[in-house]
Amino acid sequence: MVKLTIDDRVLETREGLTILRAAQESGIDIPHFCYHPAFAPEGSCRMCLVEIEGSPKLELACSTPVREGQKVRTRSPRVIEARKAVLEFFLAEHPLDCPICDKSGECKLQDYYDEHGLFDSRLKDAKEKREKKVAIGDKLILDRERCVLCTRCVRFLQEVTGTGELGVVNRGNHSEISTYESEKVANNYTGNLVDICPVGAITDADFRFKARVWFLAAEESICPLCGRGCNIFIDVHPGFPRVLLPQRAYRIRPRENPDVNGHWICDFGRSSYAYLDRGRLDRPVQNKGSRETVLTREKASQIIAAKIRGLMELNKSSRIAVILNTTLTNEELFLADRVFRKGLGLKNIFVADPPEGTADGFLQTAERTPNKRGAAAIGPFPVVPGPGDLASGVDLLLIFGHFLAAQSPPGELKAAFDRIEAKYLWASHRSPLDELVDIVIPTPVVAEKSGTLTNVDGRVQSLSPALDFCSEGWPEWRALLDLAAALGLDRAYFGLLASPADVLAVMKKETAFFA
Amino acid sequence: MDDKALTRNFGAADLHDMEVYLSRGGYAAVGKALKMTPPDVLGEVKKANLRGRGGAGFPAGVKWGFVPQNLPGPRYLCVNADEGEPGTFKDRYIMLHNPHLLLEGIVIASYAVGIHTAYIYIRGEYENVARRLEAAIAGALQKNTLGKNILGSGFDLDVFVHRGAGAYICGEETALLESLEGKRGHPRLKPPFPAVVGLFDAPTVINNVETLSNVPAIILNGPDWFVKQGLPKDGGTRLFGVSGKVKKPGIYELPLGTSLRTLIEEHAGGMKDGCALKAVIPGGLSAPILTSEEIDLPMDFDSLAGAGSMLGSGAVIVIDRETPMLDVLRITAKFYAHESCGQCTPCRVGTAWIHKIVTRMSEGRGEHDDIDTILRLASNIKGNTECPLGDAAALPILSICNKFRSELEQNLR
Repeated sequence: MVKLTIDDRVLETREGLTILRAAQESGIDIPHFCYHPAFAPEGSCRMCLVEIEGSPKLELACSTPVREGQKVRTRSPRVIEARKAVLEFFLAEHPLDCPICDKSGECKLQDYYDEHGLFDSRLKDAKEKREKKVAIGDKLILDRERCVLCTRCVRFLQEVTGTGELGVVNRGNHSEISTYESEKVANNYTGNLVDICPVGAITDADFRFKARVWFLAAEESICPLCGRGCNIFIDVHPGFPRVLLPQRAYRIRPRENPDVNGHWICDFGRSSYAYLDRGRLDRPVQNKGSRETVLTREKASQIIAAKIRGLMELNKSSRIAVILNTTLTNEELFLADRVFRKGLGLKNIFVADPPEGTADGFLQTAERTPNKRGAAAIGPFPVVPGPGDLASGVDLLLIFGHFLAAQSPPGELKAAFDRIEAKYLWASHRSPLDELVDIVIPTPVVAEKSGTLTNVDGRVQSLSPALDFCSEGWPEWRALLDLAAALGLDRAYFGLLASPADVLAVMKKETAFFA
Repeated sequence: MDDKALTRNFGAADLHDMEVYLSRGGYAAVGKALKMTPPDVLGEVKKANLRGRGGAGFPAGVKWGFVPQNLPGPRYLCVNADEGEPGTFKDRYIMLHNPHLLLEGIVIASYAVGIHTAYIYIRGEYENVARRLEAAIAGALQKNTLGKNILGSGFDLDVFVHRGAGAYICGEETALLESLEGKRGHPRLKPPFPAVVGLFDAPTVINNVETLSNVPAIILNGPDWFVKQGLPKDGGTRLFGVSGKVKKPGIYELPLGTSLRTLIEEHAGGMKDGCALKAVIPGGLSAPILTSEEIDLPMDFDSLAGAGSMLGSGAVIVIDRETPMLDVLRITAKFYAHESCGQCTPCRVGTAWIHKIVTRMSEGRGEHDDIDTILRLASNIKGNTECPLGDAAALPILSICNKFRSELEQNLR
């Protein structure tokens, strides 16, 4: 441990830390552009200059290690003067783009000017004219006038992805960020460049001009599109009075977690947020021929429980099949197991998931659901057989999730489903299954749920709702508890469970994995 | 004993030819050094207090001593032949007329530190000089004063010539290393220092051409002789390069401590007929300017530092009364703006901003507060940059604006 003084505060910190890190950990923010915790110190922006007693020149906080007895000042007159000087240099080559720049509201240059600047411009001469809309990648736009040459983007592509698509070209004030000849920035992590750019030089083409960030609320969630379980922020627009917005979720950004995804998320997860708002099922309905009746929760569970009871009394439990999926939370999978396998003694409990992809060697896994490991710890749940085999052995089908639809051509599905007497569906999104089943109940997506998911490394992560569930449906855990109640299963056990938290508490006692 | 250790024999024809050089006693210093122990050789250079002749004036023996002797792996010597400091042409003279003197210095320095690979980083513009060096190396290899088992001593050394590509910043030692490694010439953060983490992360010594060229004479004649050639704290001679409207511009090898006035008026013959002296830049463009009243100054590191300037590369640029100071300012500002590597903010933006203002002044559109702005910007660059180029830009600009303000203000509205 090392003891040093920063701004008259005595701090004890770990050896090997830089002054900037040590200060950060104690809540002292030293302004910086080029420094990023994921890379080695760069030392080129000169914004983090601080005064160290005994040193004639100001020193860089980002690359000077802490020493026993060091006395650092981050707000002395010399430091303030140097900071203003460096800030003025940045601003002298930066366009007055704030009114049209997407980064406004989350821009370091704005923030630092607000906190450390507030001086008038003394530039009388013209700023360099540079290209403002360079498409350096499919989803990336580079504005060279805004670029402060912190080289975070260059270093990210060198040190994190190892792909090195960007470099600095030219010299002096003509320096600019560029790809090499006609190549583009193309890998599964390009979106992180937008996050790490401290100003609006690299921006997201998809987010361009869509929303002002101060209208967005950053809600915490976990990405459900593969087994990594990257921690994310979903930037949600609460809407305006009297104005209906076409979408709630505008953007997905990484949430730092050193044990799961570090500072990053992949482009696949980042760009796939439209599904949160589009194609959602909105009402629980019962299909009766050509008519559609809206169901209440009570009515739905009555009908379904009656059907189950009917077959159970005829000793035909083997004619009931349940199809789950591994986007369900641990709590939901646990309840499914306790209701169907233990409670009703059903044997045909399967899983139908989106198809696997290729792992990308970094974050994205081959499995494309967030809770395959949870299902493995609670199950086993074998993969669902083909529709033909399913139909020949089943009179009652309970389907959780719409993923079955993508596994067979619609004709084949219809043919199979027509042979099954009763079919009930709980899903978040519209799919061809909607026409083929008797009851459709809308369910929330992962971003709207409470519960836990188990990632590819076996890490159990908690969810709480980032978005409101706006459809007239209910979560799968609610549906399963309703069924347990309607079927009269072990009231002493199920009757005490009123929330995912209750279920988790029970899981911790009953399943070694979750203890 | 000849007191012109460096330029002695410059007049001899074909001194770059190995046979000619050998016939004049060449490589005797190498022969002597290889019979000493490396620590003894290092000791001699330390005792001589040979200060670097590239500009910084850091004692060469001390720098050599920083190289850790207990680390495994290679060590390197880089000869800084980039000679980018405006007004400086002395290294070109040595390499063109007496390249074997440099090679001798390289061998002795490498032997002292335990280095077996040396790179001469020469500015790309010196193509003919590079070829002269390569021919000299070939000649030395032939006569076994380079390469394997030099003169039967068991010491191996390879020397390579590497051409730069036109960047002043690559004369900065860490940018030079980056360029040698095939990367952009961006200076590195120090610490770590090149003596410990240098070329390809290995311990590296970087010395100027003139510095190394002094080593053979120190070995042959001893450190006491070297000190006596100059001053107690600044031993030896310097190659002063005088340019400007003097009668005899050129290279003058003179003892450290020679008066600047003597250098200009006696050795360089004084101002040309009809020209009067207005100002002198005493150590390359990065050295703060001196007025005509300030030239009674001994040319040594400490005296010039005490006068608010620097000995630097020893390039004495003489400015006459007919040359407008605005031109001097404009050329200075343009040079640093053009040569700034762009890595760090104050230099990248500051030099360009100053250049914009001075250009506007040169076009007759200067305003009354422009000089104050330039002074402020230069002060904001000073001390805040990643490498000394920032100070090299700021200090001369500050001195020109401060000392010749009234002349500059004549151009403003």
